[in-house]
Amino acid sequence: MDGNLEISLDKLPIKRLESIEENGVERYPSDSSYDEKRVSLIRRIDFAWALEDDEERERKKRQKKSSKDASATWQWQSMVENLQLAHQELSVIIDLINTVDANDAVTVAGMTRPKPLPNEVLSDLAVSAATKLQCYRQLGKYFKQSAKALEEQIAREARFYGALIRLQQNWKVKRQRLAAAASSSEGFIIDLFDNSLYDSAAMCRPSSLSTIRVDHDSAGMLAINLPPNSCRSLHFGFLGVHSADIPKELGKIRTRGSVEQCTREREKESMSDDEYIKETHTLLREVHQSIFDDQVFEMLNREAFNQSIGVNVTGIRENYLQLSIGQGNTLFISLVPSGKGDDQDAANTQDSESAIVPLDSFDNVKLEGKHGTSKRKWGFPNRTSCEIYLQQIVHEHAFVKAKDKPNLSGTRVSGQSGKDGPGLLGHFCLSLAHRIFSNRVLVELENVVCRVPYLHLMTHPTWHSQTSSWTIFLKVPQSILHAESQSLKSDFQNMKDAVKSQFRTKVVVNDDRINVEGDGAPNVVSLFKRSSENISSVNKYECDLADLPVIILLQGDTVSLVAHVNPEDIKGGIAWWLVMEDGSPDDWKLQMDMYDGASEYRKFLGHLTLDVLYSTLMDLVSLCGGGRNH
Amino acid sequence: MNKGTGAGTGPTAAAAAAAAQKQKTMMQRVETDIANIVDNFTQLVNVARVNDPPVRNSQESFMMEMRAARMVQAADSLLKLVSELKQTAIFSGFASLNDHVERRTTEFNQQAERTDQMLARIGEEAAASLKELESHYYSSAQRTPDTA
Repeated sequence: MDGNLEISLDKLPIKRLESIEENGVERYPSDSSYDEKRVSLIRRIDFAWALEDDEERERKKRQKKSSKDASATWQWQSMVENLQLAHQELSVIIDLINTVDANDAVTVAGMTRPKPLPNEVLSDLAVSAATKLQCYRQLGKYFKQSAKALEEQIAREARFYGALIRLQQNWKVKRQRLAAAASSSEGFIIDLFDNSLYDSAAMCRPSSLSTIRVDHDSAGMLAINLPPNSCRSLHFGFLGVHSADIPKELGKIRTRGSVEQCTREREKESMSDDEYIKETHTLLREVHQSIFDDQVFEMLNREAFNQSIGVNVTGIRENYLQLSIGQGNTLFISLVPSGKGDDQDAANTQDSESAIVPLDSFDNVKLEGKHGTSKRKWGFPNRTSCEIYLQQIVHEHAFVKAKDKPNLSGTRVSGQSGKDGPGLLGHFCLSLAHRIFSNRVLVELENVVCRVPYLHLMTHPTWHSQTSSWTIFLKVPQSILHAESQSLKSDFQNMKDAVKSQFRTKVVVNDDRINVEGDGAPNVVSLFKRSSENISSVNKYECDLADLPVIILLQGDTVSLVAHVNPEDIKGGIAWWLVMEDGSPDDWKLQMDMYDGASEYRKFLGHLTLDVLYSTLMDLVSLCGGGRNH
Repeated sequence: MNKGTGAGTGPTAAAAAAAAQKQKTMMQRVETDIANIVDNFTQLVNVARVNDPPVRNSQESFMMEMRAARMVQAADSLLKLVSELKQTAIFSGFASLNDHVERRTTEFNQQAERTDQMLARIGEEAAASLKELESHYYSSAQRTPDTA
């Protein structure tokens, strides 16, 4: 309200004559009540200034529009001005309302909304419609977000339950409701404990790995998290031959462990669900095998504490068992974590075996130095085959027997109870001891056979873990037989039929006992014997390893080079005879027959030069036992 | 659902009755949720009319938000029901599981037998080969070692 101040003057509050009628009655205006007076005063509030301001504004706007210059008008200027005007009007109305409110005499009689103009109606409607539309759009966005989230959840659950159902085809899936309430996951576990064992009382302690929790990973797929180095595997070796450290081939065979969990996370995106489930199956199988190895070791430990045949414990540590199997051989069985080998070597170094190169096969000749030849001579069985054998007999005894299955073939070794015979561990030790001993016997036999011509060695597989059998036989060539038979022309036909051309000696090794039996002497001496009834048969004969070559070759006969001095001989004074004696006390018989010509016990060699005599003697010595002088 | 058809032939009457009851409960839940969704959506569509007083419009907008939330909640409840059904299938699908386990057991037994037969055959062939090789080796002139 700047500018000129307008003053309005009120009339004096006196009654003024309003009108006079013809009859002289004066009419005065009626007295207005107090309220009416106030209302009239209020009505006198002049809003003209506001109207004038409006008119001025209109003019100015027209001026601005008409004189459009380069200065850009702010697009919200009109709105700002409208808002300012509205603010002013509102402030006036508020003042008015306050005044009315302060004056008790005046109250608001009624309020009527001014009749809206058509454009106002439509604009209100448009605003309402737009608001509603906006509301619906927001709802639409909300629905889309929710749908997307629910679809993702469906996909995650489908993957999870699909994988779980496929795992359930092969493994026992259980649910722990208490665990489900505690944790965010559903509480699924996979139970790997086999409660159908033969001796359930003995194996009542389930491994800590028996129950495996199934978790969700970041992508919603099921994940199995194992603590590192929780899987253990059985480790076998011969002391002094094999290292007690984890061999590297074990690391190759079981390259997957829980150590690879972190890399698996990264590779999961590139791996399809099928491959991932296969990997999970493999992991569970490894854990299953680890549990089995734990059970095997526990069973062996238990048997080691019971004194039984064949078991001789020489050392026990945590997860380590050392047994002596006789003849200076010692083996060890241990449980080692089946993770990566690099971290384990430092933890599992034994006292003296870590520097020894592992000898894996019987025919390994790559070792250098004196250890090489000695190890080759006393070859040990393959350690992997021993591990497999140990696991197989435990499995058959503890698991298969529980299910009452018969032995399917003779190749399987029947498990023996611990009551009347050696237990599993004893049986295993005896089998290994026999295997090592029979290897040595074979080496000796091969040495014998290699040096003697016409001597053959035949191996007879017994398919028994504690018995080995060989046959040594001599097949005399026909040329030699013909040469002998020609000296006796009258009995040529008979001799030919009666001469035996094959001689067999059977060598059987039971545990560490050698039995030798034969039906003839498979050596050069047997050439003298032409009729089978005169052949001395060797009965069953037990011997030890040192005497084996002697027993094989000589078998009770002795060979002698006898010189016969005849001064009247034309060619020379000394004639040589090869004489066979069977050790019988009737030596006089030989002396009687000596001058009667060739007989079946002696052979005339004639006059030998010194060279020939020496070579014949050396041949006989070499035949008689491979370096041993008898 | 298998449980419905097997209600009368369950292992025990109590278990069959419990299974039938559970099935009935689940069906009720499904129907409730579906009815919830349909009802709320109907109301949402009905409020599309624009009213004159803007107060009513804002009132309706709040109501629309509430109904949308209810719909989503019902959908989530349905999903949970599906999860429950899957879990039930995992733990209660005994017929198919037993069949599968028996099939696998038979397969493994056959594989074990085949392996045993193969091992026996390998053993026999190895024995035969060993015999032949030994006879050849000891008949050959190469077997005598050099004199040391």
